[in-house]
Amino acid sequence: MEMLSKIFVEPFADMVAAPDFLMQVIWEGLVSGVLYALIALGFVLIFRSSRIFNFAQGIMVVFAALTLVGLHAMGIPAWVSVALTLVVMFIIAVAIERIVLRPLVGQPDIILFMATIGITLFLVGTGETIFGGENKVMITSELGIPTGDVVLEPFGGFLLLQHLDITVVISAALLVCALLVFLGKTQMGRAIRALGDDHQAALSVGISLQTIWVLVWFVSGIIALVTGIAWGARAGVSFALEIIAFKALPVLMLGGLESITGAIIGGLAIGVLEKMFEIYWGQPLLGGNTEVWFAYVLALGVLLFRPQGLFGEKIIERV
Amino acid sequence: MKNLTKLALAGAIAAVTATASMAQELYTPNLSYRTGPFAATGIPLMNGQRDYMLMLNARDGGIGGVPVNFEECETGYSTEKGVECYERTKGQAIVTQPWSTGITLQVLPLTNVDEIPILAPGYGFSPMSDGKVFQWAFNMPAGYWDAASMILNELGGGTPAGLAGKKIGFLHLDHPYGKEPIPFFENMAAEHGFEFLPIPVGLSEMQNQSAQWLQIRRERPDYVVMWGWGAMNAGAITEAVKTRYPMDQFIGVWWSGHDADLAQVGADGAGYRSISWSQPQNDSGVMQAVNEHVVSAGDSLASDEERSGVFYQRGVVMSMMLAEAIGNAQAEFGVSEISASQLRWGLENINLTADRLAELGATGMVSPFSTSCSNHTGHAGGWMLQWDGEKFVQASDHLTSDMDAIKPLIAAAAADYAAANAPWPTNDDC
Repeated sequence: MEMLSKIFVEPFADMVAAPDFLMQVIWEGLVSGVLYALIALGFVLIFRSSRIFNFAQGIMVVFAALTLVGLHAMGIPAWVSVALTLVVMFIIAVAIERIVLRPLVGQPDIILFMATIGITLFLVGTGETIFGGENKVMITSELGIPTGDVVLEPFGGFLLLQHLDITVVISAALLVCALLVFLGKTQMGRAIRALGDDHQAALSVGISLQTIWVLVWFVSGIIALVTGIAWGARAGVSFALEIIAFKALPVLMLGGLESITGAIIGGLAIGVLEKMFEIYWGQPLLGGNTEVWFAYVLALGVLLFRPQGLFGEKIIERV
Repeated sequence: MKNLTKLALAGAIAAVTATASMAQELYTPNLSYRTGPFAATGIPLMNGQRDYMLMLNARDGGIGGVPVNFEECETGYSTEKGVECYERTKGQAIVTQPWSTGITLQVLPLTNVDEIPILAPGYGFSPMSDGKVFQWAFNMPAGYWDAASMILNELGGGTPAGLAGKKIGFLHLDHPYGKEPIPFFENMAAEHGFEFLPIPVGLSEMQNQSAQWLQIRRERPDYVVMWGWGAMNAGAITEAVKTRYPMDQFIGVWWSGHDADLAQVGADGAGYRSISWSQPQNDSGVMQAVNEHVVSAGDSLASDEERSGVFYQRGVVMSMMLAEAIGNAQAEFGVSEISASQLRWGLENINLTADRLAELGATGMVSPFSTSCSNHTGHAGGWMLQWDGEKFVQASDHLTSDMDAIKPLIAAAAADYAAANAPWPTNDDC
């Protein structure tokens, strides 16, 4: 009986008793969710256009952030460093298409997936050789990102909103809007979607596979840079950032590998739900640290009923 | 046929040369991690260890005239890779330095069979202190339970009894390392009447600890004690600043006192403390020797800033302790090329007095301590270091752990371990 109360009564009583704390939990969950969604977006974009599950997305985040910080450490102004980092990410996109993907056109998906593992190892080695493994400080203030906070008093309580978190949320929203406009309203964007829908048909109407692949890997590089800045501003820039890519996997399972909307909603849902579960059920009942597995269990539950994820396309293959 | 004869001859020469060259060195492999999520905290320590041995090779031709081969085997802090490294290096090694509590726990039973000493300075399994049960394992100059005891003494105003009625949040990496001091804390909480609240941080949550710090906000602990490593340290410190947790109530173990982690928050982190069995002394003789023979020669991998930090100089002290043990063994057995079992004797007979530390040029970098057959830790004690906004500075006199509380727990835990892993060989001569 006591256990039932701890599961079904006490958490909700706590929420009602301290609504300001509940708001803080939801806000922190939303911020985490936005960060998860950003990583997932990089995966989705590449998968949509090429059916490649890009294992290298995590290390791209690290590499982009390290490049930015490394360039600035050489005395280059912050925003010039951002521009140069984008140039580096473009060069990487071109190199990946020319050296890795082009020779593998027509190969099974698993071969392309394995190739992205190779890209990961290459970027890890190159990054460590050039930048070293030490934790570096993100150039947050140099980029003009505010670092203060706002204190609100809802219900007479205490709600703390970091300027950095607010900036991340707004930047991510703008990035997603720009991405949606690009994919929906521009010729290149439509070409990416066409390629994702049907390779053969897209190629037959003159869409260049090589150009599109370079483009999507470059856009993923841009997303990686934004993600790297957002995460790096929280706890520094090191190879530990690579681990956060694993947080995108349940988001993709939940939202679907092909859907940008799925990545966003999946990220936000997992961010908020895992935070609420951890605070109101995980910590009191299970000793905490449930965030490590909660998102996977949630995604697994969804997969039982919708194997393609909440927003994924149902693929019917006929024999 | 002629070619085959030449090939065989070349092979034989190469084998003889290789054997001769292997015999003319002291092979002390380090199971390091310069890659992966924990590299940021591992690199300065391993650079310090490496540079001290390079300095001995350059200045003295090694130890007792025999060069030290301080080869590194990369583990990425992965227990599986660490065991692989141990297996790969154990053939010629006179010591293994596992560099992770997880790896230490895995190789602990293996070293009984292979008869190679484990050197885990300030880490590993705390009951390794009991030399009678753990013949081949050493964690001098202080173990995790020493750290926990010193922290509780400090927070309680000299005694853990001063914590009665208080609440302590224990923010720790959800890993064998992070869980190591929990039995000691729980025991002390029961004895002295304070509340102990473990708050685990998973590997994937190291850089986003908002849930853990929301729990801290809700539970309102009087103090937060941190057992963090790698990216977890910087993640916790930035989150503490963000949530306005009072820094003077936040205290970490010696692996959570890295200059680069605190540099993430700079002045906002002022007041944060870390218990430490070592402290940097930039003007010490040993650091001058490292500068002269390694840095000036362009052989150091560390930057100027890194070399002045707590972790780099702790790495120097680690290698200094190993070199001291090797020197002890050479003197005792009258040979330059000592074996692993002879090094064990050397490790059991370290006697770093104040005079000896002065002779080594390391006064103030570690406090005097000695080991014995039964005491593999030394329990040297340490100092509380405090972040002043730019660097760590000494913030206490020399502190010692409560051995009356630790000794019975060590004996009980060692006996439990031996029983659980029976038949477990013990050294009844101790």
